[in-house]
Amino acid sequence: MSGLPIDLALAYESMPALLRGLMTTMLITAVPLVFGLALAFPLCFARMSERPWLARSAETFVVFFRGTPVLILLYLVYYGFGQIKMLREGPLWLLFGSAFGCAIVAFSLNHAAYMVEVLRGSLLAVPAGLVEASEALGISRRKVFLWVRMPLAIRYGLKAYQNEVISFAKGTAIVSVVTITDLTAVANGIFEQTYDPFTPILSAAALYWAFINAIRIVFRFWGDYLNRHNEAGVAEETSSLPASALASVGGAPAVAGSATGTTAGTGKEAA
Amino acid sequence: MNLSLPAMYGYLGQLAEGALITMELFLTSFALALLFGILIAMATSTKSRIVAAIWNVYASIFMGVPSLLVIFLIFYGGSAMVTGVFGDDASIDITPFSAGVAALSIVYAAYIAELLRGAIANLPHGQFEGARALAIPPLIMWLRVILPQVARLALPGLVNVWSFMIKETPLVSLAGLNDLVATAKIAAGATKEPFIFFIATALFFIVFSAATLWLATRLEIRLDRGLTRSKA
Repeated sequence: MSGLPIDLALAYESMPALLRGLMTTMLITAVPLVFGLALAFPLCFARMSERPWLARSAETFVVFFRGTPVLILLYLVYYGFGQIKMLREGPLWLLFGSAFGCAIVAFSLNHAAYMVEVLRGSLLAVPAGLVEASEALGISRRKVFLWVRMPLAIRYGLKAYQNEVISFAKGTAIVSVVTITDLTAVANGIFEQTYDPFTPILSAAALYWAFINAIRIVFRFWGDYLNRHNEAGVAEETSSLPASALASVGGAPAVAGSATGTTAGTGKEAA
Repeated sequence: MNLSLPAMYGYLGQLAEGALITMELFLTSFALALLFGILIAMATSTKSRIVAAIWNVYASIFMGVPSLLVIFLIFYGGSAMVTGVFGDDASIDITPFSAGVAALSIVYAAYIAELLRGAIANLPHGQFEGARALAIPPLIMWLRVILPQVARLALPGLVNVWSFMIKETPLVSLAGLNDLVATAKIAAGATKEPFIFFIATALFFIVFSAATLWLATRLEIRLDRGLTRSKA
């Protein structure tokens, strides 16, 4: 046999199991995306707050949960929280008692920390004059936020958000270490049964690839929709850098893709 | 706290060994990824459609698949791949370390190449034309004219890749490498003190990232010497 020996029969046979794994992967991606985003808003406000203690503690949260590899976070939650007696007897055990709950908690915290920076960068990219003008017109701060800052911030930050969602979705491949049978775990299981090193992993890779690119397509439509007012402003070709430190070093000027993607992280307009 | 001090020191030694392996893995992979990334960026900066198509396929695959899967693929299938390509005589044992280095450098070469391609595209075209007009050989042109300017443009992005990649190196422990995270996991299980060991490990990564970020800012200032910065 030459080339990559891919056993098509085995790939076909294992497809139902792999697809079930893919469903788990999608679930373990989608749930933390929701919780993480919900958590990121209050944290972002705290981070941008003028009260030093509030801003400082939010920053500490971000530094810890963004700087720690997700694998360690997962171990920390899965092996750590099970040790706390109080938690075992309390109602929160429903959450920390299952591997799935632990994975959701760890991933949500990680995603929230990244999203705080994405949100902050996007909000800071909104020209201050616009906000001042709206306030001068007597529009309430709430309404200014909802109808002026947020809509623009979403546009500025969409690329950074896409990068974070994609790298997060790929990062979920580690959940198999806490006994969750996601796509990677299924592929590993098939490998252990058949000792075929290529077929299961390449099939899983193909499914991951389709999943990731489906996310990219959704974001492209979203971006086109947001930019429907100016045809020229259609987002450039996706630069799929790890979302990571978009904000940590003040973005990657000149390189990181489209103009909107660049401004999002820098927050230079802050001054 | 049910951990005696001597036992603690014992684990500390093991953790230090693990940290050393993690650093070796990371630095080797990053150096190779940077090298391959530069070579890919140089090779794909031609106008050839075929080259662009090959690059697109490579980038799409390795940016669209979790690194963990690439690590597993090389760890499980690496030796079969080597015998498949070079014949049955060339059988090698794939260690978790070499699988990790191969996987991480292949994946991150794609990210770095993408970054550098962007930087090259952002250089004024006159730089290439000028070099050609002065009959500077291509290799010298790349080394002395183009890449130094690219380094300045791409540095912030490279720092992003750097700090993202360090957080992906623990994945290799899932292929059986006894790195920092694997050691911490064993220690946490043996002592029933998961918080101490995992938080210490987390702090190692955070401090390492912070330290290199500081160095990167220094480097950035140095690369930007000779350029006046407009302060808004």
